[in-house]
Amino acid sequence: MDFLKERFPDAQFTTHVNGDTEILVPRERYEEAVRACYDAGYKYCSVVSAIDWQDRLTLVTSLARIDPAEVGARSIHIKVDLPRTGARIWSISNLYPGANWHERETYDMYGIRFEGHPNHRRILLPDNWQGGHPLLKDFTDRRPKRPRLVRHRFAE
Amino acid sequence: MGPQHPSTHGVLRLMVKLDGEQVTWCEPDVGYLHRCFEKLSEQKTYPQVIPYTDRTDYLAALLNEQCYVEAVEKLFGDAIQVPERALYIRVLMAELQRITSHLLALGSMAMDLGAVTPFLYCWRDREKIYSIFERITGGRMLYNYLRIGGVRNDLPEGIIGTPQDGEDKSDKTIWGFINYFDSYVYPEWDALVTGNRIFQYRTKGIGVLTPEQAVAYSASGAVLRGSGVKWDLRKNLPYSIYDRLEFDIPVGQNGDCFDRWWVRQEEMLQSSRIVKQCLQWLAENPGPVMAPKVPRVLKPPKGEVYHRIEGARGEVACYVVSDGSANPYKVKWRSPAFTHLQLMPLLVPGHKIADIIAILGSIDVVLGEVDR
Repeated sequence: MDFLKERFPDAQFTTHVNGDTEILVPRERYEEAVRACYDAGYKYCSVVSAIDWQDRLTLVTSLARIDPAEVGARSIHIKVDLPRTGARIWSISNLYPGANWHERETYDMYGIRFEGHPNHRRILLPDNWQGGHPLLKDFTDRRPKRPRLVRHRFAE
Repeated sequence: MGPQHPSTHGVLRLMVKLDGEQVTWCEPDVGYLHRCFEKLSEQKTYPQVIPYTDRTDYLAALLNEQCYVEAVEKLFGDAIQVPERALYIRVLMAELQRITSHLLALGSMAMDLGAVTPFLYCWRDREKIYSIFERITGGRMLYNYLRIGGVRNDLPEGIIGTPQDGEDKSDKTIWGFINYFDSYVYPEWDALVTGNRIFQYRTKGIGVLTPEQAVAYSASGAVLRGSGVKWDLRKNLPYSIYDRLEFDIPVGQNGDCFDRWWVRQEEMLQSSRIVKQCLQWLAENPGPVMAPKVPRVLKPPKGEVYHRIEGARGEVACYVVSDGSANPYKVKWRSPAFTHLQLMPLLVPGHKIADIIAILGSIDVVLGEVDR
């Protein structure tokens, strides 16, 4: 992780319990951090997701290396803190085509918009969904309640 | 195509544009099976999430349980020491599960291409493994067998058998099945489908995925290895006890549908090798299957963990965030099938409609895992 420590000397580094590196970068430098990892051989995007901390959202981008000769290469998780409403961030799906759907899902579930995404639509929920973004902690389902099914009385 | 087309392996809709017989554009439409697994697990305690993980990839349920359970155990650090015997039982079950999952992947792909016999044969052989699972866990499809800190119960008496079992095809022991698999099932698949000329015409040179594309599109599992990248998380990022076991990684050459098929078929043989080693170890080493001091209410310390394992379809990973309470603060399920479906717009254009079915079969999607 030295290449990241050189470029981001004052960023916050943490290590997961299983040895993965985690770096918290400011929003403006997200693109730079992703490109640095890409150039260092982290060409595999495992997942893009977010965490809702009630006061802010944290975007997590997990990048990994695919090198058949290497054993035990751990992932890098790039984290960015974003506001809970109207968050926008650079899309990495041009660099990592595999992140395309993960970013769509993050938009669908958390409402983070990805600038420059080639197909920025909802993915798991219907296109005309009005209820908000379900994985936010304050999400409430405002759809009308469905009537309860009447239990049949078999023992008669 | 879809969402209820018999060859889409679930409720998947493929929007395609055609130019005569040729497909010029393809886009999958998913989300019909979305069951809010991630939202639900925020409202459950840690052990209560295990049955939900079964239902994401319902054809490889034990592998999902293994991923989630190991992720939570990592959060606890050294507080929970899983006994060796439980680790071996987990790997044994996971590899048997991989065989069932690959058998179904191969059988259904063959049936999509018009061969019904292999599909029936695959069900016949899967039944034997499911009977073994039923004796061990009580369930045939959704097991809820793994626990945080071990497994629910030890293997029942007499299920391991001896390496000489298997002469009789109706043998009910695990050794009996493995010997039956090595001497009948694997050569049968090889001769019946893989060597079949019509099957080869339908799959060779169809849906070619180069190694660079495979890595860029986050492919994993048989799709990545079919393209010639020798990458297996069991070898390259060893978890559980895989670093003590001997097995090889089969790799394809061209990255077409046939190679992905062939990689799955060879992987079943490697899984049977792993199962044999586990059986030998388990027969000699009795012991407990649960960690001694697992608290009744599981409250892992604050932290985050991202645990990746090699599932039946590729990299299954689980991002668990703990805030110190009894419920997970967040669970993110990274499923290989969701990521692999992105390949359809890349692989399909230029081929015929009938080839869509071959390509979809070869990337082996499970819609429960796509939509979670």
